[in-house]
Amino acid sequence: MRFEASVLLLMLACSKTPEPTPVVRATSTPVNAIPGHESLREDTTHKEGPRLMVAETYMRSYLAIFGGLSPLDSQAALVGAGATRDNNLFDRWADYLAALGMPDYKSDIDRSAQTNALMVAAFERTGIALCDRAVENDLRGSRPVDQRIVFAFEGGPEVASDTAFATRFDIVHRTFLGYPAELAPTTNRTSKFYNLYKQAKANQTAPDAGRFRLTADEAAWAAVCYALIRHPEFHFY
Amino acid sequence: MKPRFDAFVVGMFLALAISAPSDAARSLQDYRYFRSLSIDMQGRVPTRTELTDFERTDFDVDNWVESKLSTSGYEDRIRRIYLDPLRPALSTIFPFVTSVVLRRHSIQVEGGTTANVYWRNGQRRKRDSTDGIFCLGEADTGLKFPRTGNPTGTAKPVTKAILDQYTVKVKPWWLYRDYASSAPKDLYSATTWATKYPNFAPHPALLTEADGSATTEIRVCKEEAQTAESGTIYKSGRTTTTTPADRIVPLAGDTNFAITNVGKPIYCASDTAVTNSADCGCGVGLERCSPGANNGFDPSGFVLPTKAPLGVTLPVDVGSTAQSEWTRFWWSQEVYEFIARLAREDRDFREILTSPSTVINGPLAQFYKSYQGSTCCGQGASFGYSEPQSLFDRANVPTDLLPHDTTTWKVVSDRGPNAAGILTMPIFLAKYGSRRARAHAIYGTFLCRQFVAESVELTPSTEPDLTKRPGCSTCHATLEPMSAYFARVRESDWTFLPKENFPVLETKRCNRSTPASDCRSYYDPAFTSDAGAMLLGAYASQTNADLGPRGFAEATVADPAFAECIVSTVASSFLGRIMVTDDATRLSTWKTALTSGGFRMRALIREILKSDAYRNANNLNSTLWRKEEGP
Amino acid sequence: MSSSPSRRTFLKLLSGSILASVAPMRAVADTLLSSDEFFVFIHASGGWDVMLFADPRNEAKGIIMPPSTANTTTTGIRRWVNSPLGDGSSSFSMVQPSGSKIVFGPAIGNLADHYDRITLVNGLAMNTVSHPDGTAFSSTGRHLAGGRSPASSIDTVIANELGVEQLLPSISVAFPSYVAGNINARAMPLKVDAIGSVGKVLTRTPNQEPSATRDAVTVLLTDEARELAKQAYYADAYEGLALQYEALRGMLDGNLKDAFTDASLRTKYPMFNYKGTFQGPRCVNLAFALEAMTRNIARCIGLSFAGFDTHASNYDDHAATQQEMFDALAQLIVQLESTKHPTKNSSTLADHTHILVFSDFCRTPQINLRSGRDHYPNNSAIVLSPKFRSNVCFGSTDPEQLLPSATFKAALGMRAPAPPDLLATFIAAFGVDPTPYMRDGEVIKELLT
Repeated sequence: MRFEASVLLLMLACSKTPEPTPVVRATSTPVNAIPGHESLREDTTHKEGPRLMVAETYMRSYLAIFGGLSPLDSQAALVGAGATRDNNLFDRWADYLAALGMPDYKSDIDRSAQTNALMVAAFERTGIALCDRAVENDLRGSRPVDQRIVFAFEGGPEVASDTAFATRFDIVHRTFLGYPAELAPTTNRTSKFYNLYKQAKANQTAPDAGRFRLTADEAAWAAVCYALIRHPEFHFY
Repeated sequence: MKPRFDAFVVGMFLALAISAPSDAARSLQDYRYFRSLSIDMQGRVPTRTELTDFERTDFDVDNWVESKLSTSGYEDRIRRIYLDPLRPALSTIFPFVTSVVLRRHSIQVEGGTTANVYWRNGQRRKRDSTDGIFCLGEADTGLKFPRTGNPTGTAKPVTKAILDQYTVKVKPWWLYRDYASSAPKDLYSATTWATKYPNFAPHPALLTEADGSATTEIRVCKEEAQTAESGTIYKSGRTTTTTPADRIVPLAGDTNFAITNVGKPIYCASDTAVTNSADCGCGVGLERCSPGANNGFDPSGFVLPTKAPLGVTLPVDVGSTAQSEWTRFWWSQEVYEFIARLAREDRDFREILTSPSTVINGPLAQFYKSYQGSTCCGQGASFGYSEPQSLFDRANVPTDLLPHDTTTWKVVSDRGPNAAGILTMPIFLAKYGSRRARAHAIYGTFLCRQFVAESVELTPSTEPDLTKRPGCSTCHATLEPMSAYFARVRESDWTFLPKENFPVLETKRCNRSTPASDCRSYYDPAFTSDAGAMLLGAYASQTNADLGPRGFAEATVADPAFAECIVSTVASSFLGRIMVTDDATRLSTWKTALTSGGFRMRALIREILKSDAYRNANNLNSTLWRKEEGP
Repeated sequence: MSSSPSRRTFLKLLSGSILASVAPMRAVADTLLSSDEFFVFIHASGGWDVMLFADPRNEAKGIIMPPSTANTTTTGIRRWVNSPLGDGSSSFSMVQPSGSKIVFGPAIGNLADHYDRITLVNGLAMNTVSHPDGTAFSSTGRHLAGGRSPASSIDTVIANELGVEQLLPSISVAFPSYVAGNINARAMPLKVDAIGSVGKVLTRTPNQEPSATRDAVTVLLTDEARELAKQAYYADAYEGLALQYEALRGMLDGNLKDAFTDASLRTKYPMFNYKGTFQGPRCVNLAFALEAMTRNIARCIGLSFAGFDTHASNYDDHAATQQEMFDALAQLIVQLESTKHPTKNSSTLADHTHILVFSDFCRTPQINLRSGRDHYPNNSAIVLSPKFRSNVCFGSTDPEQLLPSATFKAALGMRAPAPPDLLATFIAAFGVDPTPYMRDGEVIKELLT
């Protein structure tokens, strides 16, 4: 910080006259010449920060995952029949555009290049709507597995073992993050999501949980789903 | 160690065809790279099916990228790079409300019915009581009519005879596809037209009569219903402006233009014609006019997408809009389609500024054919300018595009001698209304330069020449000659000022000793002397003024900074960061890729997508990298 | 991610003896820090005519063609009193309420009644007449570089220093908010196009899933983001996201969805003129600011008033456009004065709310050939803050050309004040060292209490 530095300089200036210091010139040393680094490879790769997916890409990805509907058709499906102000899962895309970071050329509002808390809230709001509807579409009724867009796995939503979860989770993981769950760079991702699954299931059936529209298994898969569409690796690339 | 998709070696990728060995398992970095490609080239994350394809041993990323270079996703990606800085959209801050607007009054008719009667402001009529305003006057209706808004007075039912005397019934273009035929039959249908002509939807009030019945034809003032392409200049004989007792809008005297040119023919699609000819109407099926559903300043006209970030075919919100929005909306789309075509056909990207061509659909064809002259020619008539010479020559507008053809886009290879890429499109000229704003927008977007005078002190000065004035000259020495290229395009307008009528140095009418009152609309008093008057905005470069926007386009693309700016802008968009000094080598390589192929964008994009900078946007720290890479 | 805690360091230094000997910063050293302050930043978008309110001119002098009945619609401009110009038209009489040391133009409207809260800065050197650049310069203190702002805007800076603990550190409703450099992710401006969007985005459906499940997801994602950050060379984006995940829970618990709808705000704050011709709809943003402060959930609120870019005959309405904005601002002050501070029982919001109003630049002293006024590289700004000396006008312009005069005794001599100076002063007023944020700004000590 410049201010601190200036104060420190001031302090030095007020102390006794410093002895003349011999000039020490830094010399370049190859990394493998430093003791202990003989076998260490030098990282010369170019580094970039992750890129934030633009709002249009978020919307297109969202719509593709939701089944390829148009924004207005998806909006109608996400809102659902019989929605009231108190139980609506979704409002209008137009209500979320600015929070998602979309530019407005008419008003000369630039696109948002960084995430912010309201954007994260918009990801959650839209993500929950997508996942809850996907649960209804894929896990209820008799839609064949190969026609399911998000939960394209055999068997019902109920998971009896961690292996069964892992198999199913991998499919959903690939859907959102684009790679197999086993390659995840974070620790024990599948286990962590299985814990989430179990916790969500328990929350849904807790005595004080009230009445919810989704069954425990449905709610648990919905939670897994919206954890993935809100995941840092979904939004950054 | 598993075979790696992305070896961390600069340039290695260029030599590698990405066909994985048969036992290859993709690494996380491989997947991330593919996901990035999908996001950039398809505008969305990859599907599971695409991932499965990607995992096949014979999957070839090069071929995959190549196939995506000819998709709408790629067009969209390229377009976004330039839409973001240009922001080609306008709010109501630019009200396109001219003599094309048809407003309507609801009139009581004998027998207890109500008739909606359409009319336009400024229409010349030979009855003093209605000249320039609504065609029924106080004697007919008991009402006095303003230019906009509700009439005043006590309404009395108009007789059917009077109604038929001054109005006629017409089957207009917004109700009939075949409006130009002698007996139109193809009536608007909300259900079928939504599919055939998406985004063509008249405001509901234009589709319903006062009694609630469906509108199948409209009643319009007789003068407006006239269909001739040209009329004759009309002189009323009035010498002064008065306000007769039966009017609230003053009744103007004849202009010098009318007096001098009475009886001469005049082309009808201009404001000068509307205000100087009693026999210029709205044309066949009223195609030279835009419908409004009330008598307000900018009445409701159409239902349109109000938010469409994914394109007009995928709106997220649709609503009723003022009639002016119809025009503004399609102006925007011209730029969208124009840039998309450059990407789709991999055309020389310099065309974005220089091309005489464009792409238009039905609504734009209607604008260029029938509406664009409606801002011409004002006081230019005093300079002999009464028939618009347009930046887009109406003779080059395709004749087979109808206003309903919203999704049919046709290439117009040559708009005319003054056309230049986006520079002469109405959306650009309206969004960047002043000559300086136009030059500045191009300077920043296509040369990546900014005008910044960090700490220059401005001192009082009477020097009108900003290229010389202390302090101002820092920026204006560059800006003024550039803005001079736009001296022949009216500000906040697209009306072209031809040399024949408006010489850069006017010596006959506007010189200091004998200034004509209308000179100030076109000539700059600050640069007027006995020798002559300087065309507004031309003082810093008379040459540039005559070269016009096309000259500016040529000068801009000839600037070495143009190619550098394209490369930097595009690379910055794909890499998600500002280009820095460290990028000099790769920028130079990419510039060569762009320019050696004749400014083809695909060559540049290929290089960027295959580069280490794009592929290795891994963001891994050194520790993790070493762990992944191994000793 | 480091959050640039310059305030803590700055104050530590301020409290010690070291700084006591640093004369230029003494004025700042007396400032009390507080996290109970609220900030409202207002951008008058388009470039305002300062001759109508802040730097009034009613005589034709030099190149100055003052606002007059020949170029301005004066009907409805309540403080406009004709002052003949001698050419058949009339300019206005100066507005100076009893007790005011500030002389205003007539478009100041009801804000003139609050002269004792106003710090007026005239003659701000802009060195630009480009909208994007002028806007960025006014809000960040830096000109654009390559079309981007190299510095953060004032709302972001204040949120970074004083707002990261707040539920909504910085909310930006079409305000020119910029982020550059080392900013805490929590301080990222929450950008919306309309206040109603806030409520919609924060709505959660109660009968869909328990909030405990949403929280569990958020915890998991925060953990994932933190782990990804550890692996990243540039960790900022992931760390920022982790902080934002954490912030979300608080935002959802705040029961904000009903409070921040357009309709509820209009109902709760009927005193604003929502039907105003020029600024009516924007008044709901002031109601939002008031509600957000009353609930103690926001630290910085950036707003915009539009309609000032009057190049053509629409200049007629410029005075009325200003008057509506200043009337709305005056109404906000009245409300602040009568509203208790949410955490300081003995105070009103007015005691702890700091308002900065600025524009892109000002408009030419000449009327142009289209009966309007173009862009001009001078500017004014209004500060309403208990931290600032009030009933004061600082800075001036020359009498014939409305150009900034050298009235600021800066480190390198007299010069005209510029936006970075005002912004640096604003930041310093709260005990924050402006240096890391405001490369070019010097604190104008005369402005501070």
